[in-house]
Amino acid sequence: MQTRALGETGHDSTIMTFGAIALNWLEQEGANQMVELVLDHGINHFDVAPTYGDAELKLGPKLRQHREEVFLGCKTQEREAEGARRKLEQSLNRLGVDHIDLYQVHGLEYEHELDTITGDGGALDAFREAKDEGLVNHIGLTSHGNPQLILDAIDRIDDLETLMFPMNPVVVGKDDDDHDYQAVLERAEEEGIGTLGIKAFAKGPWPSTEELAEEDRPYANWYRPVDSPDEIRERFDFAASQGLTSVINPGDPKLVAMVLDAAERYDGMDDAAQRSLVEKLRHDESPVPEQLHH
Amino acid sequence: MTRKREVEVTVDVPQTVTTALADQPVEGRVCLEAGAGVGNTTAGLLAAGAARVYAVTNDADHAELVRERVVRGESDRAAVLEADLRELPLATGSVELVTAHGLFNVVDPAALDAICAELARVAAPDCSLVVDDYEPLPEGAKMRDLFALENAASELARSRAALTFYPATTLRRLFTGWGWEFEREVTLLDPVPWTASHVDAHANVVRSLASALPAELSTPLTAEADRLVGDIGSESVGEMYSIAFRSRE
Repeated sequence: MQTRALGETGHDSTIMTFGAIALNWLEQEGANQMVELVLDHGINHFDVAPTYGDAELKLGPKLRQHREEVFLGCKTQEREAEGARRKLEQSLNRLGVDHIDLYQVHGLEYEHELDTITGDGGALDAFREAKDEGLVNHIGLTSHGNPQLILDAIDRIDDLETLMFPMNPVVVGKDDDDHDYQAVLERAEEEGIGTLGIKAFAKGPWPSTEELAEEDRPYANWYRPVDSPDEIRERFDFAASQGLTSVINPGDPKLVAMVLDAAERYDGMDDAAQRSLVEKLRHDESPVPEQLHH
Repeated sequence: MTRKREVEVTVDVPQTVTTALADQPVEGRVCLEAGAGVGNTTAGLLAAGAARVYAVTNDADHAELVRERVVRGESDRAAVLEADLRELPLATGSVELVTAHGLFNVVDPAALDAICAELARVAAPDCSLVVDDYEPLPEGAKMRDLFALENAASELARSRAALTFYPATTLRRLFTGWGWEFEREVTLLDPVPWTASHVDAHANVVRSLASALPAELSTPLTAEADRLVGDIGSESVGEMYSIAFRSRE
């Protein structure tokens, strides 16, 4: 599988990152097989979080067996130093490892959180201290939030080395600032920051719980994912061809093998095919009458 | 801290439009969108800094839609002209950039010359022309069957085709013959995504045309439209191109 430099971390990540949230829905034996499967395909970058149910615990055994082969990303939703330190130690314990390669601020959503994180006694104090102690090698940030907020974070966190944010043909097709993750991508490239894409396989929101009860959803994702091999492949190709360092699989374990296959076969996507995908999804959501209006 | 957001026009300009205009001198220019459709290119021209955009359409519904969607917030720079492209209400030599985005597939071959003559008349010296359209669909494409049905219904109801897909080479030669100098060709979409809403829209055209015909024609046409909607669903096939020209002095 192709690899790309993860910003200036010195690590070359495979173009697919294993989102270990998928392990949460598997028994331990299945989780072990899943980790072996992604390693067999050459994946060298894993991402996990303490908020993913039992994912850290289930990743632990195989992670310890293959620790050298894995660049391990983890994250915390704590915004202050004390809580962040506690979560870091908890993750190290649950994973059973002595260091985490990439520790990330998880799910930044509001400007005031950025104030807290970057302020005195903020989470980044704990991140930096852990880095000095060798518990953490690199610092990153993840967000589904406003692109402008992520741009602010780049300005305000000098030692930021990676970013994780949404990238798919729907957001690329929208012109407003609220969807301008391409600006984040460009800026990250200028700054030598590695980029990890999420929501690449999102098809749309789930129907309302009145229409479809949560327990009746066929996938464990936050949103309805694309789920055929062709769609998975075109979505992977699209995300990878935007210039992201690496693309993260959707959270449901049933989809991981298809993403591995797509990532392995990735050979670029030309501009006209990328636009084709943006157009297809734009029309799916289009409120205007149309005939040939591409 | 709350972030201030500017109120903006809510039209997302399609990438086909931004790509076609990316290498064109739009800023500060007087532009003509020939065949305004839903106004996407007008929105793209305004976003790219056009001094003025005339959105021309002969369809009253489209005119209203473009006014609502695009022109309303930009009335000092944009105007919708309900007019025939063969008789433009614009002065000779007054337009500096002409776009025809998805226009020619709805232009009957018999009307081509009159439209080209009129575009040549209104073009200023050094005017740019951008023509974006679809290559004929390849054999085996299911959408071809739907377009064929649409043309059959249109021929029966109005004695003319509804859709004609001109190859880029054909339009290139046509405009070169009208004095335009060819600049470049870009592939905008490959494949072209014909979504369920496109399929529905074309099936509805067939149903509407068929409704004016006697039952022995309208019944099978409508039945075939229904069948094709189910059979096609959606299909990604074909190519959309953009060709650009400059007027010769």
